[in-house]
Amino acid sequence: MGVRATLARWAAAAPVPTFVVAGFGAREAAQDLWLDPRIVLVAAPRQASVLLLAGDVPEPLLQAAIRAHDVMPAPRAVVAWRTSHRAVTERFPTVAVAEGPQPAEALVAVHRALRTGDQTSTPPILADVDPAPWRGEGPYGQGGSGMTGGVPYGRPMATREDDRDGLTLDALPVPVGPLFAGFPDGLSARITFKGDLVHRFELQPNPFAADPQADRDDPFVRALADPVPIAELEVARARELLRACARTLHLQGLDALAVRAIALAGRAGPGEAAAVRRLGRWVTARWCTAVQLRRVGRIEPAALDGLGVGPVARAAGLAEDVRTDDPAYRHLGFTALTQQGNDAAARLAQRFDEAVQALELAGRADGLRAGGNGAVEGPRGRLTADGSPTARLLELVPELVTGREWGDATAALASLDLDLREAASRSADVAADPL
Amino acid sequence: MLATFGAALTVFVAAVAAMLAMRWADHQLRATPLTAPERVPFTGGGEPEYHAWSRYHARYYVMALLFLAFDMEMVYMYPWAVVFAREGMVAFVEMGMFLTILLLGILYAWRERGMEWA
Repeated sequence: MGVRATLARWAAAAPVPTFVVAGFGAREAAQDLWLDPRIVLVAAPRQASVLLLAGDVPEPLLQAAIRAHDVMPAPRAVVAWRTSHRAVTERFPTVAVAEGPQPAEALVAVHRALRTGDQTSTPPILADVDPAPWRGEGPYGQGGSGMTGGVPYGRPMATREDDRDGLTLDALPVPVGPLFAGFPDGLSARITFKGDLVHRFELQPNPFAADPQADRDDPFVRALADPVPIAELEVARARELLRACARTLHLQGLDALAVRAIALAGRAGPGEAAAVRRLGRWVTARWCTAVQLRRVGRIEPAALDGLGVGPVARAAGLAEDVRTDDPAYRHLGFTALTQQGNDAAARLAQRFDEAVQALELAGRADGLRAGGNGAVEGPRGRLTADGSPTARLLELVPELVTGREWGDATAALASLDLDLREAASRSADVAADPL
Repeated sequence: MLATFGAALTVFVAAVAAMLAMRWADHQLRATPLTAPERVPFTGGGEPEYHAWSRYHARYYVMALLFLAFDMEMVYMYPWAVVFAREGMVAFVEMGMFLTILLLGILYAWRERGMEWA
């Protein structure tokens, strides 16, 4: 018992391995947890001891969160922060509710209590019934004759399909998401793999439901209806762009640089333009980001022309920007920046360049206002009451990732900076409802 | 007999003891057996439809074969190294020709896209 007590004491002092399910209104707060040294955000629930439900988690994500909860090793706990309380407590019998602007304190307290034994582990929610029991038939126990003639653990073997070099090999369909850490929040797809190549990519429905109230504080959404100070818009844009860069860097395993980008996003203001430029130069000149991201996620410029997808289009050399038509921006001497790369590396460089430009514009804006005419250049592209850049980019996704290696496919997805909450809120159904 | 195999026997006994100790520690630390939902692979919240036991294409096999072939060529450099000091420039030029021919083979494989991982 001495060994267990000592290990438990060490575990209590260690950073809290947390698996986050971020709903509406928690995208930024969930990312900000990277800045807290007491928290470690883990990619899979098997590594986690605390499940954090942050923001308004929609029903499909709650269902996935239940599965995530049940694969977490004991002792485990659930913390809810800014959730719709009833929906969560109906499904999770024991949940600690975190108050305040940040969930970090509650996460640490719950983790300590778990390790010292003051709080017991949450019981499993799903029934302990094997959905596909082991059959034990056949020479390999696969439940039939021949290597592929059975259904081991009740699951059929992968089906065979022709390969591009004339061999007939297995194609394995795997449902990925909506809580897969390598994907944008909430994205789920049924992916057929051939080895590590994406053979087929079938996008699943957006788990986020249209909620007209969810993004009403977003300055870009407010600018659809009323003029908003340019300084406010541009600082918000720089923040979003830096956060997108941080997600790309994190996916490439460059966590220290990702944390610097998140920290810069938190304190972004006109005075930080030089710091953002320095970080951008350091990141885009690095050998590893260049090698990992160059020629990854290329889209035909013809497919992007007129789509209004902001930095993605401008990284392909298309100078499309709603701001060029705005008299206030023209007064500030705004011109759209472009790149020629048209790949994930170019999009990363483009976002850093645009973040610097946005902070410089914010510094010169001097009380000028823009917006109020129904279309705004958001951080991801042209935003209207019934159209979002994410929804338009999602249509390009299956073609973008099919035939790619898995690592390149996730990097290509990250380079688009998809926000499924935005796609849900700005869909055509919402336009009918008044804001 | 013991003098011959004593070292091997010691390593074997130590390995078995280490394995038993780790199994004991694992048993002591394990709180509860895994439930059925815990045993299912987690792919982001979905339920796997197919068994993960699949035969996929090891696409790097061309590169692996090339590596093996050219790695074995290097074995020829051992006897060459022994006589290099005695034979002098003749041996150097001969090895230079040999390596040049090998290099052409590598360039050919590269052109035929044999170096692609996927």
